[in-house]
Amino acid sequence: MIRLPLSVLLLTAIGATPLQDPMPIGFPVLAGYEYKEGMTLPKEVTNLHEKVVEIRGFMRREFAGSGPVNSFMLINDACGCMGTPMMNEIIFCTLPADVKMELLTGVVTVTGKLYVGEEKEDGDVILIYAMDADTVTAS
Amino acid sequence: MRLLLLAIIAVPAIAFWPQGEDWSKHVRKACESRRFGIRLAAAKRVANAGDAAIAAITAYAKDKGQNAIPTSLVDALADANVRPPKTGKGKGIDAKDIDAKDYAPKTTALLKTWAADQAFYWRSSAMRGLALRAGRTTDAVKQDEWAKLFHQYSNDDAWLMRTHARFGAELIERTNPTQQLEDDPRARVRLARLLLDNGKVPSLQPLIDGLADQRTFLGIPWGARLGQESSKALNNWLAADFPKLTGGDTLESAAAILAVAKKESGQALTMPTLLEDADLGITGGFEIASCKFGDQFVQWSADGTVRFGIDGSRQVKLPADKWQELLQQQTAITLDANAGVVVCDKLQMVLFDSETRVDIAPKSLPAPASDWLKRLALRLEEANETAVAADLRRGLGQFEGQ
Repeated sequence: MIRLPLSVLLLTAIGATPLQDPMPIGFPVLAGYEYKEGMTLPKEVTNLHEKVVEIRGFMRREFAGSGPVNSFMLINDACGCMGTPMMNEIIFCTLPADVKMELLTGVVTVTGKLYVGEEKEDGDVILIYAMDADTVTAS
Repeated sequence: MRLLLLAIIAVPAIAFWPQGEDWSKHVRKACESRRFGIRLAAAKRVANAGDAAIAAITAYAKDKGQNAIPTSLVDALADANVRPPKTGKGKGIDAKDIDAKDYAPKTTALLKTWAADQAFYWRSSAMRGLALRAGRTTDAVKQDEWAKLFHQYSNDDAWLMRTHARFGAELIERTNPTQQLEDDPRARVRLARLLLDNGKVPSLQPLIDGLADQRTFLGIPWGARLGQESSKALNNWLAADFPKLTGGDTLESAAAILAVAKKESGQALTMPTLLEDADLGITGGFEIASCKFGDQFVQWSADGTVRFGIDGSRQVKLPADKWQELLQQQTAITLDANAGVVVCDKLQMVLFDSETRVDIAPKSLPAPASDWLKRLALRLEEANETAVAADLRRGLGQFEGQ
């Protein structure tokens, strides 16, 4: 398992170089509509499916704890005190299988392939945005 | 004999009778599942069960501690069992949707207990649930009770708590006459958004102003967040009338939204000013994010000017010699990693440069940093900023290491 120091966050060096130039996107598009379970997602969102994108946000643990993580939530809110984020306000990011990193405080830019669409577990929607995160950099 | 016969028949029948749902299982899932989406779905299921699941929630909180209840469960309870009002442009709450009946009195009671508990991280979410419930009643006696509750918290130090209390008071049209002017831009936008989302058209100016806010605090773009919140609220309200925006020019977009909002609301709204950071030479600072005691924002520049508030609207200039001494003492602080497990309340410090940004959980502040912050409070006190110094000490108290 590779652990990345806070100062070295470019994961491209470990062979995860994106093949496309990342498309800059933002939460105003991803979260700019009222999400209801089972709805048809807006076209401007579904158009991003399987695109390599670059997005700024805040890293948050999926579950409270400490130590390096292999996956995290990217959200639009600096503090966890603003209320529960809506499903379309969260990108569930996963680092390459053998990579872990400490959560960065402040704004980060994440690049990687975005997947758009409801994913269900036991009949419940558990995410609508997922990303294979290639790079995470402090902005 | 008949009784015996009845017992023979009844005992097996009772044994196979469908038992009530095991809500403790769902509560555990809502609190402990490692997947956020599963916690969210379980929270909704528990909340939608109404009073049937309350015993399981209180048992869990008793066993694991109040703050083991996640915000997602409190938010789900807040939103559940209240009839959604008819919202939308100019509609307000439809009379047939107003209903004095409390669909889940045990849930309401639990939300009241949580809202009154200052040690509970998510008390503001509980208050939002109470506001939504109050907004559905037309009973004058009940409204009096609600108003008393909301007024108690409408000047709370925690911005979201007082915003939700004010939201409740506005829904029943019983604004606290002793309510202080709101100086937190986040609170102004949030209150307008909540009211708009719940069928009441407030003054839209805070949302219009929010559209052009691009300010930051130590690199955190809180202004842009307000812009998104404002835009979304106005978009939901204006629905098909929301203008098609091309993006790129903030003021052009704001002007387009303003024109429609003016027409639809009949309000005399004014064009917002683009709010950006002035070049103040900020060299460091910290933020105390506290759901319990309220947020504090402090930043300073090299000349010893210390600014307070998310928008830095209040400032104090420390004497040069005292400031130089503080800067010298600051070098003893080494913060190279986050400290403790942050659930809600945290102290985020940015010292020297933006690379040294760390989050500190309660009871986790290293002694050198704690000592320095106490010295800063002392210098502020010496500069006759006693209220600011007292606030600072109060805010920092829970972070001191043990």
